[in-house]
Amino acid sequence: MSSIRVNPNVLPDLLSALAQTRQQESTATLELATGSRINQPSDDPAGAAQIVSNRDLGSQADSFLRSITNVKTADSTLSSVVTALQRAISLGVQGANGTLSSSDRADVAGELSGIQQQLISLANTSYQGEFIFAGTATTQPFVSSSTSSSGISYQGNAGTNSVQVGSNYSLQINQAGSQIFSAAGGDVFQSVADLITALQTNSGIGNAVTAVRGAFDHVTSQRVFYGNAVNQLNAQQNYLNSEKVDLSNAANSIAGADIAKTAATLNQAEVALNAELAAMGKISQNSLFDYLK
Amino acid sequence: MDSGYYAACSALKTQTSALDIVANNVANVSTAGYSRKQPQFGENPPIVLGQLTFGTGVSLENAASIRDPILQIRIQQETGTQGELSAFVNAMQQVQTQFNNQGNDIGTQLSALFASISQLSTSPASIALRQGVLTAASNLASSISTTANNLESQQANLDLSVTQSVDQVNTLTQQIAKVNGQIAALENLHQDASAFIDQRDVLVGQLSNLIDVSQIKTESQISLTTSNGTALVAGTQAFTLTTQPDPSGLEHIFSQGNDVTSQLNSGQLGGLLQVRDHKIPSLLVSLNTLAAGISNSFNAANASGFDLNGHQGADIFVPPAASGAGAAAGMAVAITDPALIAASSDGSAGSNGNLANFSAIHDQTTFNGETPSDFYGSLIFSIGNDVSSGSIEQQASQLVLQQLQDQRGSISGVSLDEEAGNLVQYQRAYDAAARVVDTVNQMLETLINMGTT
Repeated sequence: MSSIRVNPNVLPDLLSALAQTRQQESTATLELATGSRINQPSDDPAGAAQIVSNRDLGSQADSFLRSITNVKTADSTLSSVVTALQRAISLGVQGANGTLSSSDRADVAGELSGIQQQLISLANTSYQGEFIFAGTATTQPFVSSSTSSSGISYQGNAGTNSVQVGSNYSLQINQAGSQIFSAAGGDVFQSVADLITALQTNSGIGNAVTAVRGAFDHVTSQRVFYGNAVNQLNAQQNYLNSEKVDLSNAANSIAGADIAKTAATLNQAEVALNAELAAMGKISQNSLFDYLK
Repeated sequence: MDSGYYAACSALKTQTSALDIVANNVANVSTAGYSRKQPQFGENPPIVLGQLTFGTGVSLENAASIRDPILQIRIQQETGTQGELSAFVNAMQQVQTQFNNQGNDIGTQLSALFASISQLSTSPASIALRQGVLTAASNLASSISTTANNLESQQANLDLSVTQSVDQVNTLTQQIAKVNGQIAALENLHQDASAFIDQRDVLVGQLSNLIDVSQIKTESQISLTTSNGTALVAGTQAFTLTTQPDPSGLEHIFSQGNDVTSQLNSGQLGGLLQVRDHKIPSLLVSLNTLAAGISNSFNAANASGFDLNGHQGADIFVPPAASGAGAAAGMAVAITDPALIAASSDGSAGSNGNLANFSAIHDQTTFNGETPSDFYGSLIFSIGNDVSSGSIEQQASQLVLQQLQDQRGSISGVSLDEEAGNLVQYQRAYDAAARVVDTVNQMLETLINMGTT
């Protein structure tokens, strides 16, 4: 008779099985609690490295989106400038009417002075403390000047700024104020000032109105730049928003815990744990000694 | 009749001894490393009288310990592997906690720095946004330097563990040498040394857990060396290991004047040394590369533009040493005035032209051919991979060890069922022998009293 002798002390085996089951249980609980199956790099080294890059791209997309909302302001300012110039043109046309008395023309000139002030104020629009038509200078761009024929001189510079709104995608976000308001053949302040003078002196009103039209056309053409920029920013905003959704989906598929599966694992671990504990309660309670009288 | 009497008496004596062996087995049912003993009975030489041969009973020839020396060596080897892997995994798990991506790690701070630059580009003269960049830069610097400092203190802790393990090794080798002597002394007198052999197996097991051990058996003694031949125990002589700090302050292990540190690659010491001398230093080198790369790139970007005062930009980060050594631990922001960030490319305060040079660092592949974020990702991968593959190996080795222990248990372990069975058997044999003595006694009495009545 020869039979295989088994290890009489099974306790260490059971203890190690128990420890393993408890480990499974705590891992599954942690996954359920955090909703993530990567709670430390060793849970999935490659996944953890992907998450680093995913988070970095997500943070970048967020910051591009914030940049976009910060630069979409100049267009509405220019639309007010255009409206003001339209009003100046219609006032000029009205003033050119020969039936107007000199006091009527003085009233029109007075209203135009108001428009001139409004235009100066629009040209000095600031956003978050910075003048948006000053080029890359930080000083107030349009100030009164006794030496300038229009009474206004440009204190900004011709510089422009670009903002990165995507990886390898930068967009010029401003035009120098001098290019918008003081271009040759389209000088806003000069033409309005000339119109005021023409109305006051009742001479050359028609030519002055034509000059204001020229300024109007110039500002309108400059608006196209901002319009294009806004269009591109909107397109980029849409792209970034969908990229963020993609990134968050990717993050979820890399690290997201499969809740149903994890819950099942937890359940299995609990069942196994109970079985192991029951087995441990029973082993080595009995030996032949118990039956010998 | 005389021979029967003699035989029965020998049986009484022998069965009593066998019962003693059972008692000792039962007593040691929970003793670690105990090998069960089995009585071996032998028939006494018979007496030949003319044509008749009479048996003279039984004697206990041997109480042999049931053990498998080869298996024991396998267990010791696997214990060494287990000791190494568990020390390695424990240490690397502590390292890993420095790199958990839970929001304030290096990767997050790196992204935050570039996000702050991107914000500044929309309003380059804003002091608040400039302050945002400085804060993000200093968060990144402190995140990197804290991580590097923590790694260094972990290295120091491991160093302490190395010294303690060496002390334990020395204690164990001395005990083994002593037990070797006791075994030799007993075996020279042809006495049973199995209790000491069990004890020695336990001690060698503990030693294997600490350091790699190979065994050479000579007669009754064993000699122990590391797998590279560093002597630990030769017979009754133990060779003490000593420690001496190297120039960087880390303890090196010496045996008889030779530095054997790099040769120890199993056991707890092997695991500790691998993390202390290889893993942590290589992580520190990577962190230094990252810190020096970021510091130098940002300083260069700042120098290529003009600050809010129209001056050429100065260093944003404290410039690291040219070698990069200590760059991570010493990483810090060099400026406190937000106006000193050189956002402008032409000297005008509202220009953001130079910020593109900062943003470009995000995609610059000068960190071992990777972008800073990917470089950090690779770092995370290598740490996670070390812990995860170490844990898997440890579990596998645990299973092997468990199987070997089971095998040892199946050979040497005390089974109470068996002992109970043996107990009954020896008791019955004793009872029967006593009955024989009684019977012979009665017969002798009958003989003596013959004719007196």
